[in-house]
Amino acid sequence: MNSTLGQRLGNLSGLALALVAFMFYAVYLSPTQGWTFFFQLTVNGIILGSLYALIALGYTMVYGILKLLNFAHGDVYMIGSFIGFGVLTLLGGPLNPAIPVALLVTCMFVVAMLGSGLLGLAIERFAYRPLRDAPRIAPLISALGVAFFLENSALLLFGSQFRNYDGFDLISYNGIHLGGDNGVFVQYLGVIVIVGAVVLMLALLGLVRWTRLGKAMRAVSFDREGAAMMGIDPDRVIAATFFIGSALAGAAGVMFGLLFSQIYHLMGFLAGLKGFTAAVVGGIGSIPGAMLGGILVGLIESWAKGYLNGNVSDLVVFGILIGVMLVRPSGLLGTPALQKV
Amino acid sequence: MRKFVVAALLAAGVAALASAALGSTKSPARVSSAGSALVTCGKTRTIGLAAPITGPAAAIGNQQVRWAKYYVKRWNAQKANKNKQIKVISGDTQLGVDTAFAVKVAKSFASNSKLLGVVGPAGSQEVVASTSSYKRAGLGYVSGSATRTTLTDGHTDGNRRGYFFRTVPNDGAQAPVVANWMTKKLKWKRVYIIDDQETYSQGLADGVQKILRARGVKVTRDSISQNDSDFSSKIAKIPSNTQGIYIPWQLAPQAQTFGQQLKAAGKGKIKLFGSDGLFAPGVWKIAGSYDSAFPYNPTDPAVKTYIKAHKGNGEFFGLPSYVAAQVVVGAVTKACADGKATRAEVRKAIAKTNLKTSILGFPVRFVKSGEMRAPATFGVFQIQSNGSFKRIG
Repeated sequence: MNSTLGQRLGNLSGLALALVAFMFYAVYLSPTQGWTFFFQLTVNGIILGSLYALIALGYTMVYGILKLLNFAHGDVYMIGSFIGFGVLTLLGGPLNPAIPVALLVTCMFVVAMLGSGLLGLAIERFAYRPLRDAPRIAPLISALGVAFFLENSALLLFGSQFRNYDGFDLISYNGIHLGGDNGVFVQYLGVIVIVGAVVLMLALLGLVRWTRLGKAMRAVSFDREGAAMMGIDPDRVIAATFFIGSALAGAAGVMFGLLFSQIYHLMGFLAGLKGFTAAVVGGIGSIPGAMLGGILVGLIESWAKGYLNGNVSDLVVFGILIGVMLVRPSGLLGTPALQKV
Repeated sequence: MRKFVVAALLAAGVAALASAALGSTKSPARVSSAGSALVTCGKTRTIGLAAPITGPAAAIGNQQVRWAKYYVKRWNAQKANKNKQIKVISGDTQLGVDTAFAVKVAKSFASNSKLLGVVGPAGSQEVVASTSSYKRAGLGYVSGSATRTTLTDGHTDGNRRGYFFRTVPNDGAQAPVVANWMTKKLKWKRVYIIDDQETYSQGLADGVQKILRARGVKVTRDSISQNDSDFSSKIAKIPSNTQGIYIPWQLAPQAQTFGQQLKAAGKGKIKLFGSDGLFAPGVWKIAGSYDSAFPYNPTDPAVKTYIKAHKGNGEFFGLPSYVAAQVVVGAVTKACADGKATRAEVRKAIAKTNLKTSILGFPVRFVKSGEMRAPATFGVFQIQSNGSFKRIG
């Protein structure tokens, strides 16, 4: 066992211990005791975390290859949800769909992913590529500018009214009760979200590990100039990375609309921040880390909402981010950066 | 020489800073001058209308806009008013996004020297945020929906007496109506209250909670944020044997989402009870839910005409804004009697308003605090399966 793997397992065992301690408190000591409640919150958290994970994947891919924090990514997710809503409306709306629901939902995902992917390409081409060799602060400012540009464009195009997917009319309220009628309720839609997120992440892992594009991505991530000298076109690889990351965000946007119904032009800000947190907690640059971080952020948010009164979940989530950064600056599955001297 | 230049520059800088500081301390003087600036009334008089025209509360905000403009349209159509037409300038406060928008609207109204009075803003938090801008400009403003009790007590949320008025009963009137309906009509013994952390919502939630607890009802309190979309964990906390959930929120789409998620979690049997902020037929449409809303006179010709013109949808949330427009237009007209008016005169005329009848079903006069004298109480509505709101009490 090499030292990095050992260190990673050490981090995860610390995390596992913390989770067991929390579980004991939640089930036996908290005012709202019981396993059913705990598992219900856990299921809710995993569903929410799957969405964060999909957003985090985009952050982590772009950071991995460009060392750029793409703050516009949350707004790409927002645009994805609006594209999905547009497809839904064009095809008859949630109450009277013109085509079978399964086909409609598939169309929403495909078009939203394509649209978001193309948007990601455009952002990379016009906002980041010209700044490729500029100091690192320049693309960061550019990213913030793109985020505001997208938010305000959405405001101009769609207005600031909330749009409702009415996902429950579309896909109904069906689900399963685990452990009897008063047991844990799992919506089929939630299962689809979790499975969808896992499948997309595995596909991404497969792409990065076993395809030529993936190898090129890793090469560019490791040494852009060296990769270029070996015949790889870094611009094309970076563009492909943006396309894939943005398409995943588009899928997350549609999933969010179907699950929680309401979408609006500022929804990307907080979701983007949570996705970024997930990427950092998991270890930015690591694909499994983004997934783990997303699920963790979702779980913590869900548990905080369930076990604490008021709305302190964001406080807890970002408090934990600070804690993780203090203890493990490179994240749970991240590797410390080596500096050439 | 160089030292002299540096010293002179420093002195000039200090003087500039001092004059800026003095300028800011002299703001009360500017308050009076802004309020007392004479405006030539002419054939067209200008008033402001601050409402959430877009944003998450647009559904109710546009009802206010339509009702207020409906009054102005009726006024302008009268032959007697041919030479005293009213022009409305609308400002979008985007309630539920950021109170900064309400402040921006207030500042733009304040800087419009022709503008004599304001209808709005809609939310209590918007009133709190924009008060200093209106006061500094000497503008009187009449809200048709800001119901937080402490807005008029003169100290808790700031003093706005003589400037702020409202044509809607406050939460002190709404909370007992809600609590009475829950305990006496619905016989609820277990109630869950969720506020949305805004001043309006917390005040109303506190009021209902106090009465329910005094009557022996088991009350559990929680809160959400206006940015929340995922309520699954909050809903998981709500015991299945809860009879009703009180949600005094302002964002109807959020209430709709909450109701949908409640149903999805298998707790659809628990009834929702909203407040006037959720009076948005067609947006909040969870059938069987209850809602408290403003009183009105259904037999008034203006109400009948409006309902007919809107194909049966009364959009009653906006109704007090009609009266607010009536108050402001009346005051502007009175102040303009000699052809010229000041904002201060308009404010005084608002305070002396005396509408013997109104579409609210009772006379409208104000006491010093800006509240209406003896307003009627709130009504209770129930959402029907087609999304309409039916008055049941």
